[in-house]
Amino acid sequence: MILGLLLSGAILVVAGVPAGELLNEFVILTLFDAQSLKSVLFQASPLIMVGLAGCLAFRAKFWNLGLEGQMIFGAIGATAVTIWDIGSPGMRLPLMMAVAMVGGLLWAVAPVLLKLKLQVNEIVSTLMLNYIAINVLLHLMYGPWKDPKDAFPYSPKYDSFELLPELGSGLSLSIPIAIVIALIVLWFVNISRAGLYLRFVDKSPKVAGAVGVPVAKTILIAVLFSGALAGLAGLMVAAGQEGRLTHSFYVGYGFSGILIAFLARNNPIAATCAALLIATLFVSGRSLQVFYQIPFAMVQLIQAVLVICVASSDFFIRHRIRRVQGGD
Amino acid sequence: MSKQNAIQLSGVSKTFDGFKALTDADFTAKWGEVHALLGENGAGKSSLMNIVAGLYGPEGGSLFIDDNPIKLKGPKEAAKLGIGMVHQHFKLVMPFTVAENILLNLGHIQTSGLYRERLRRVSDDIRAMAKRIGFEIDPDTRVDQLSIAEQQRVEILKVLLAGAKVLILDEPTAVLTEEEAERLLTTVQGFAREGAAVILVTHKMNDVLRYADQVTIMRAGQTVKSLKPDSVSVDELIRLTVGESTSDQSATPEKRAPGAPYLQVKGLTSTGAPRALNHLDLTLNKGEIYGLAGVGGNGQSELANALMGIPEPVEGQMEIAGEGDLAGFDAARRRAIGIASIPADRYGAALAGPLSIADNFALGDIHSGRYGPFWYLKTRAIEADAAEAVRQFDVQGVRSLKQKAALLSGGNAQKLVIAREFNHPPKLVLAHSPSRGLDVKATEAVRDRLRAARDDGAAVLLISEDLDEVMAMADRIGVMSAGRIVAEFSQPADRQAIGQAMVNHV
Repeated sequence: MILGLLLSGAILVVAGVPAGELLNEFVILTLFDAQSLKSVLFQASPLIMVGLAGCLAFRAKFWNLGLEGQMIFGAIGATAVTIWDIGSPGMRLPLMMAVAMVGGLLWAVAPVLLKLKLQVNEIVSTLMLNYIAINVLLHLMYGPWKDPKDAFPYSPKYDSFELLPELGSGLSLSIPIAIVIALIVLWFVNISRAGLYLRFVDKSPKVAGAVGVPVAKTILIAVLFSGALAGLAGLMVAAGQEGRLTHSFYVGYGFSGILIAFLARNNPIAATCAALLIATLFVSGRSLQVFYQIPFAMVQLIQAVLVICVASSDFFIRHRIRRVQGGD
Repeated sequence: MSKQNAIQLSGVSKTFDGFKALTDADFTAKWGEVHALLGENGAGKSSLMNIVAGLYGPEGGSLFIDDNPIKLKGPKEAAKLGIGMVHQHFKLVMPFTVAENILLNLGHIQTSGLYRERLRRVSDDIRAMAKRIGFEIDPDTRVDQLSIAEQQRVEILKVLLAGAKVLILDEPTAVLTEEEAERLLTTVQGFAREGAAVILVTHKMNDVLRYADQVTIMRAGQTVKSLKPDSVSVDELIRLTVGESTSDQSATPEKRAPGAPYLQVKGLTSTGAPRALNHLDLTLNKGEIYGLAGVGGNGQSELANALMGIPEPVEGQMEIAGEGDLAGFDAARRRAIGIASIPADRYGAALAGPLSIADNFALGDIHSGRYGPFWYLKTRAIEADAAEAVRQFDVQGVRSLKQKAALLSGGNAQKLVIAREFNHPPKLVLAHSPSRGLDVKATEAVRDRLRAARDDGAAVLLISEDLDEVMAMADRIGVMSAGRIVAEFSQPADRQAIGQAMVNHV
């Protein structure tokens, strides 16, 4: 991981960022400047959610690549609540959250049932459902839900009580929510009985069935939970960052979720930390873009370098390299 | 004639995670002899042989092959020097055919020719070799369709075709019936007579006494003594191995009155193509041990799977008195009504190797709510129970309950399975080769547990390919052949007649 960061640093230097400025730019300006720290945290909360969603699904050995689609449907669900003005203003936000979770969950139901009943490969089904979700989103943006005030493809702005409220110093409520959810996931995988079942499904699926673990039920619950969290992440972007339904899902949250779960080896605490790191990358990537004309794609490149480094470090963690005596 | 040393190890040590598996071990095997390596589970026999086979690098000490000092860089190099090892847990690629598996292993020898051509050549070699040593193996069969005994033959063919002159067999007779073991050991004795060196890793006294020319005894990571088996008494050998005298284990159980029928199997038949089970009928009474003997591969695994709830395509009835047909019960439900399963394949069907001992243990009794409601696991209660069970069942090598179950040696893993399954007093015990690969002491412990369950009124089904075990344990004995029970005996049973039944119907 550290190697990955160093390597990324080297790539940035090659891309034209002065080496001396790099540390300054990345660490000092991003983490010690109150304004950017805020935007890191702001950016981090949906990432934490998708990361946790990834952890849950991957622990059930279900390769949920449809996090993005589930996010979109979470956001669409929440937006539907705002557009049709369902519920009193006071109840609006909790209702949006619930609907967002149901939206994400529903988008995960089909692939998991197809997998459990018919052994349909979930990698393909979830990935394909992403495209459907994106196109449904575009249809709504350009069609029925277009903001009547102007011609841009986004939904009408949410009312103020439909936004995630700010806490004092400009921090959004989404951060505490993300932390609470992380704790719930931590409880789920470590303390509940389902967590024990999940460990068996994860590590020895064949043994799990033979010793009485309800394998199908465990997978179903974990994947639906995962979908619901992704839906909630969708709401955080829509109601926490944009204030309306937009295209912003294209920045690759779904992929980042997979990446975070992978970096964290499906551990919820590590996923929260990894999400913060990725959020730092997002934010500093923006400033690099502004100050050094480095394309934003560089952020994705750095993510990829990190993944490769962590994947290869797996080998070194499991096997200790040692010179065998007398070996030449 | 003075025979040359084939393999010599001196002062070899090996540590795993701070645990000393071998301490200053010495070992010498000569050409032309069957050399038995005798010791309890965890004595270090397999570790020592893995060093010879190049799988482990030794820490200190030296290895001589043919009196030349050698530093092995890996198993390939060992194979090139003519060392072939048949492991206790076979290293075969399951969905591949016999010929493909063997070709895969020959990679470093035959490299020329098209794949199909090489495969044909290997198949011919397999047939020739199999014929020469009296194995019946079709090179085109898929390995996963073979019984364990047949898979072992494939393993032996594999190392022989790779040109092995030093043949190491790790617990070869653990999975074989008496006749099969006899045939195998006679065959390997033949190899030795032709000049090869055969190393027989075992804990079976009989194998040593009847077939070995020389025996080296290991205990707690050290080689205790090397001697000629006919120069000492059996008691002396046992004393050297276990460090204490154990009682005679071949006592026949007394005659007992059977209880009411508990499990009734009627017309159980495999639905798949090779009809592994063929209209099998079986009645199991409360308070008895029913021993199911038979040559491996006659439907025992399929029967065990069907009863234990491991997916197996069968039709027919499996009635449990007062509960109904087993077929509709998943593993959790079976457990809830008091069925304990001890499958033959410990890490394939009983223990999750990568998970902790406590996790593995908890699963035995989790459905009852004993370890907390659904939303909360009483970790402390689990650990307390697991610690108690580890102590009671004498599971050794447990440094922490959070340690991975895969780190336990075979015998101790089995003890852990039994400890879990017996955490609740069972009504029906299904045990498939429960003492496979276990040493004298562990075997006796396992058998005592089964007897105790029987005495508490449980119905015990003991499926075993070891006739000695069945004879020593069972109140009634059934002989399985070609997917059905062909003969039943009650104790005292005539060993000769059972043997006849096993062979006649093959």
